[in-house]
Amino acid sequence: MDFELSEKHKLVRRSVRTFAEDVLGPLASIMDREARFSLEVAKKLSKINAWGLQLPQNYGGAELDSISYAIAIEEISRICASTGLTISVHNSVSAYPILKFGSVEQKEKYLPNLASGKKIGAFAWTEPNAGSDAGAIECLAIEENDHFILNGSKIFVTNGGIASTYLIGAKYQTKDDKKGYVVFILDKDMKGFEIGEHEDKLGLRGSSTTSLYFHDIYVPKENILGQLNDGFKIGMHALDVGRIGIAAQALGIAQAAYEHSINYSKGRIQFNKPISQFQGISFKLAEMATKIDSARLLLYRTAFLRDKGSNFSKETAMSKYYASFIARDITQEAIQIHGGYGYMKDLPIERYYRDAKVCEIYEGSNEIMKFIISREILRGNL
Amino acid sequence: MLNIYVLIKQVPKSDNLQINWKTGALIRKNLENVINPDDIHGIELALTIKEKYGGKVTAITMGPLQAEAALREAIAMGADKGILITDPMFAYSDTLQTTLVLKEVFEKIGDYNVIITGIETSDSSTGQVPYQLSEALGIPLITDIFNYEFEKTLFRCQRNFGHESQFIEVNLPIIMRIGRHFNTTRHIPLSRIKRAFEIEIEHIDFNAINCPSEIDGCNKSPTQVIKTEKLIHKRKNEFINGTIKEKIQQILQIMKDHGVEKHWIGKK
Repeated sequence: MDFELSEKHKLVRRSVRTFAEDVLGPLASIMDREARFSLEVAKKLSKINAWGLQLPQNYGGAELDSISYAIAIEEISRICASTGLTISVHNSVSAYPILKFGSVEQKEKYLPNLASGKKIGAFAWTEPNAGSDAGAIECLAIEENDHFILNGSKIFVTNGGIASTYLIGAKYQTKDDKKGYVVFILDKDMKGFEIGEHEDKLGLRGSSTTSLYFHDIYVPKENILGQLNDGFKIGMHALDVGRIGIAAQALGIAQAAYEHSINYSKGRIQFNKPISQFQGISFKLAEMATKIDSARLLLYRTAFLRDKGSNFSKETAMSKYYASFIARDITQEAIQIHGGYGYMKDLPIERYYRDAKVCEIYEGSNEIMKFIISREILRGNL
Repeated sequence: MLNIYVLIKQVPKSDNLQINWKTGALIRKNLENVINPDDIHGIELALTIKEKYGGKVTAITMGPLQAEAALREAIAMGADKGILITDPMFAYSDTLQTTLVLKEVFEKIGDYNVIITGIETSDSSTGQVPYQLSEALGIPLITDIFNYEFEKTLFRCQRNFGHESQFIEVNLPIIMRIGRHFNTTRHIPLSRIKRAFEIEIEHIDFNAINCPSEIDGCNKSPTQVIKTEKLIHKRKNEFINGTIKEKIQQILQIMKDHGVEKHWIGKK
């Protein structure tokens, strides 16, 4: 058992960290303030292959393993969590399901553009009446001749306003009245595809979140991802992978808040000594360090299990739940350590706090994570 | 088609270096190893030359097996090949021993056109290897370059020379020595990392080079570091009291004591 990162993983971390500090560093607070994802950033992300982190090299991807993937998302999110989310969603729940479940034709059609970042991907399952209850979606595709007609709407779609390629979960009904769930690959230029307003959010303001509306969209059968009735399986598997990205994102935010807390408390003098020398503060730092290390080990183990081909549903749920929980906790304590300065927008600490919160909510709420974990352990998967 | 060789060194990351004050040696335990900061700019220059004039970039380093990581990073940046010069006999080499080994390696390579080095390494700051290698190989070393071009077997450049700039034209092969202000380094494309760790690194050991009798890093390095001391910058404050006239007199006296007087105080 070796807990050292390999030289390859260290190089991935160093490369992404340098890029994030150089390129995203000066933009993160501007993207947050102006609430927009920058297309200039998108182009720069292309240069380091951030849009195709795990896609095979023959499609133009970087073909990295899952630990490298987690490290990349962690390092991007350490500087700009909005960009971390944009990249994570694109890679894990848009490009990856096409790679895993797509036909040869679909892979050749979509993956090169997704890998290069020429087209950005999104995944839409959540609806006004279907959040944690994923089976309750109401989008309906009715079979007609050789195609389907899709109607319905989606909400809270990450990358909604900047994507071109969308994976959409829907219920279907065939001519012979068979029913089930399907995932379609849709293009934003399809007739009847409408993108809603940019949502005004508490955090991750530099990422795009919108609703989607489908008005009698004509969907050819070649746009079905995998088999017709595979929809629910594909959706849930995509989320398992997506949770590695969200855990990594939360970890990156927590790491940033922790580093700021260390530096600030060593330099802030009160009662004639640095506040880091007061137990009230140093214990907070000790707790932060322990929580971050635990979350990181859990996450890398999950990534390791995925690469080994083992089932990792329980571990990915644990990672996502724990990393998001400690990220919210650590960012909150980071504000406390910084006092009034932490509450002001001059420092990024308050942004970390706002950005961290949603990690407990999306990609399956933490309550759903605990439901998944308990289901697995009670089934005997201890 | 230029054969470009860039000399790099793996060094401990220098933002938090600690020294054992009893022995004067760097505490290398638990330190992250990176490419020497100057050398990353050397790799960037090599890649820029290759992109403009065509050629092949080989990164070379001398060090223990773990220094392979530095070569793989150079390959991830864009270098075509990596050579690791490694042998227990090369351990503890000073700059002269290092140069003797490099000389033999380059004579074995033979068809080199451009060798690129940084100014100095962040973990020893001697800056001697470029000069020594130039002497050993008998080829020109060009420093402080800010404009350059290659034309067939010729190299032309403009270099800083005090307040002037010199225009230089020489035949290849040459050694170019550059510092970290020369260029802006590229970010590593992640798609090259997989390949960088699959590619085979060529190893050159003691038996692969000539005249081994001169070479023995441990016993034949003429440089010996005897002691390392903390450099303390001391500044003394003196307060001058009195009327303006008295203060001026006192300042003039102080300047006189420091020998400034003869430059301009005397010119009344």
